[in-house]
Amino acid sequence: MGRFWSLLFLLVPVLGVAAFVAAPIYHHWLPEDWSSHGHQIDRLWYFILYLTGAVFVATEIVLFWFMWKYDGGTNTQPATFTHGSHNLEVIWTLIPAATLLFIAIMQMSAWEEAKMEKPHRPPLARVTARQFEWRIQYPGPDGKLDTPDDLYTVNVLAVPVDEEVVIDLESMDVIHSFFLPNMRVKQDAVPGSSIPVWFKPTRVGEYDIVCAELCGWGHYKMKGRLTVLTRPEFEKWLENLRIQQEATQ
Amino acid sequence: MTNQLTGAISVMDSKHSPMPGELAPSTHHRGPVAPLAERHGSWSRGAAWAAWAVAVCLTFAGCGQPEVEFGLNRLIVPPVNLVVQSREAQLVDQNRPAGEIAEELATLKETYLHNEQMLASALTAVFGTPDDPYAWPGLGLDIKKLRMAAGPTGVRGVTRGLYREHCVHCHGINGDGLGPTARFLNPYPRNFQLGVFKFTSTNQGRKPTTEDLERTLREGIPGTAMPSFRLQSPAEIEALVEYVKYLSMRGEVQNQLMTAIEAVGGPIDENQLAEELQVALDLVARSWNEAEDYIVVPAQRPPFRSEQERLASIARGKEIFLNAGKANCIGCHGPTGLGDGGQVDYDVWTKLQREQEARYPGLAQLWPLPVRPAEPRNLHQGIYRGGRRPVDLYRRIYAGIKGTPMPAQGQTLKPDEIWSVVDYVMSLPYEHEQASPAPPSVHRAGL
Repeated sequence: MGRFWSLLFLLVPVLGVAAFVAAPIYHHWLPEDWSSHGHQIDRLWYFILYLTGAVFVATEIVLFWFMWKYDGGTNTQPATFTHGSHNLEVIWTLIPAATLLFIAIMQMSAWEEAKMEKPHRPPLARVTARQFEWRIQYPGPDGKLDTPDDLYTVNVLAVPVDEEVVIDLESMDVIHSFFLPNMRVKQDAVPGSSIPVWFKPTRVGEYDIVCAELCGWGHYKMKGRLTVLTRPEFEKWLENLRIQQEATQ
Repeated sequence: MTNQLTGAISVMDSKHSPMPGELAPSTHHRGPVAPLAERHGSWSRGAAWAAWAVAVCLTFAGCGQPEVEFGLNRLIVPPVNLVVQSREAQLVDQNRPAGEIAEELATLKETYLHNEQMLASALTAVFGTPDDPYAWPGLGLDIKKLRMAAGPTGVRGVTRGLYREHCVHCHGINGDGLGPTARFLNPYPRNFQLGVFKFTSTNQGRKPTTEDLERTLREGIPGTAMPSFRLQSPAEIEALVEYVKYLSMRGEVQNQLMTAIEAVGGPIDENQLAEELQVALDLVARSWNEAEDYIVVPAQRPPFRSEQERLASIARGKEIFLNAGKANCIGCHGPTGLGDGGQVDYDVWTKLQREQEARYPGLAQLWPLPVRPAEPRNLHQGIYRGGRRPVDLYRRIYAGIKGTPMPAQGQTLKPDEIWSVVDYVMSLPYEHEQASPAPPSVHRAGL
C-alpha cells in the first residue's frame, strides 16, 4: 500500500482546482449578469470562492503532508499522545471568527441594495407561484392590482429594460423560490405573504425564470421566461395582452 | 394478448406504468458486496467489488421492464370476475337451480373473455400500442405527431415520449385520468376516454377544436392542477394535442364497440366486429373532424359608451342571473354567486362511474378515485377555468360546460342577454370594492 493513499488524497485539491479552472473554459460558469446590482453579488461570490478555495487547498495539503509523513508502513517510531496546543486552538478559532465578521460587514451594502432599499415605485406585476407554474398579474392602466382592468398571463414575465422593476411575490400553495439567474435574484415565495423583489435589467433579451425550491414532484416543470423589452415594446406587449384578454369574438 | 386482457385495471397494475426515470425493481441491488468485503478483510478488494456491482446494476437497470401496453377501460369493460359475480347475484335472486346457474355462468365467462379479446385485438389493430402508435387513416390523425408524443422518454436524437414526460403521471397511459398522482388532485385529471372536453369554443355536444386543446395546454386550467405548458415549442404542443385526440378516439371507439358487443349478446365473430369497428371509426372521425363547423361565434357587441351603460348591463345581467324561471343560474350558483345553490349533481365521468359501480359491485374497489359531486363554481374568486376573456364566458353560458351540469343557454337567452350575464359575472369578484377600500383576498388568486 505504501504512500499510495496519501498521493490519492493529494488528487483531491489538484482535481478540485482543475475543475474550477476548466469550468469557465467549457462555459459551466456563472450565468451572464444583466442586472445593475449583479456585480456586487458576483464580487461577493468570487471573494468567498477565493477565500474558501485557498483554505481548502491549504487544508488538503496539510492533510496530505500528515498522511505522507506519518505513514504506518514506513514509520518505525511509536505513536505519542498529545493533548494539543491551547494557543493553536485560540488561533484557529479567532481567525475564522474574524473572517466571518469581516464577510458579514463586507456584504452589508449588497444585502441592503438587494433586499432592503426597495425602490419607491408600485409593483410592476404580481408573480404568484403555484404547483407548477408562475401566474402573473399586471395592474393594468390604473396601476392598482386586484381591479377589473388587471392583465393576466402565465409563465412569461415581460419587464422594461433599464428601469427598476418591483415584483410582488406570492405563493398559492407551498414554498417556491423565484430565481432569475441572469438578474442575480433569488427569493422564496411563501404562502400567505407578499414579498417584494426588485432588480434592474440592463439588456434586452429573454432569460430564464426557474423555481429554486423543491416544491413537489413537478418542480422541474416550473420554468418561465423573463422577457426584457424596451419601454415602447413593453407598452406594446401589455397592449397586446389587453386586446387578447378583452376578446369578445 | 390474453395476459394483457386478463390483467386487472391497467393503471392500477404497477407493471404497466413504470414512470420515466424510475428504476425497475432489480435483484442486482442486493449484490454480494458486503459478505465479500468481510471475508477478504481487504478494504480495497471490497471497494473494487462494490464498484463492479454498481456498474452491473447500472448496466441492467431498466432491463426486463414489460413493454408498455394499453389496457381496456374497466368502467366500460369490467374484469370478467365482476361480470360473472353480478350475473350470479341476479340468477340467485331468481331462484334458479344451482346446476343451471353454473352452466350459464360458464358460458357467460367464455363468451365475455372471447369478446374481450376480440375487442382488444380490434383496438390494437386500429390504434397500435403506446410505444408504437398507429391511427387508422380515416381518423385524420398525423402519425408523425403521434410518434413525437408517444413512446418512452430519453431516446437520443429524436423528440419522443412527450406524453410520458409531461402528462402520464396524471392522465395515465390510457388517457383515463388514472395516473399515479390523480387521486391526490381535486378536481381529478380529465379522463379522455369519453371524448368529452369541458372548455371548448364549439356548440353543445360538439368536440373541441384543435385550437381549443392547444389553448388549454398553453394557458393551463387555473384553479386546477393542470399547469401551463406555454414554453413548450409549438410543434410539441401540436404533437401532444394530436395524442390527446388519439387517446380520446381510442376510448370512444372502445365504448362504441362494447355497446355493439353487448347488443349482439353472444360471442361476436370477426366479420361482425369488423363491421361494427368501421361504423365506430366513421362516427368518431366525423364528430372530431366536423368540430370546426360548430364554433360558437358570439354576436358583435358595441363597446359601452358610458359607465352608466356598463352598470345598466350588469344590473340586467343580475336580473337574468336571479330569474329562476329562465336561465336559473341561482339554482346552482346560488343567489350571490358563491356556488351554494344547494343542487347536488355529477359530471358525466362520475355518472358513468356511479352507474357501473352500482351494476358491478366490486368495481368501486378497483377504481382508485372516490366519487365527488360536481361543484358549481364560486363566481367571486375571479378564477375562470375555461379562460377569462369575455368570449370564453360567453361560450360557457351559450354552449354550457360539456360533461357537467352547467347547461347550454344559447336557446334560452338572447345574445345581448348572455353578454349582460357575462358582465355581471365578471363584476362579481369586485362587488365589494365600492363598499370597502381594502380588496377582498378572495380574488387575489385571480388565477
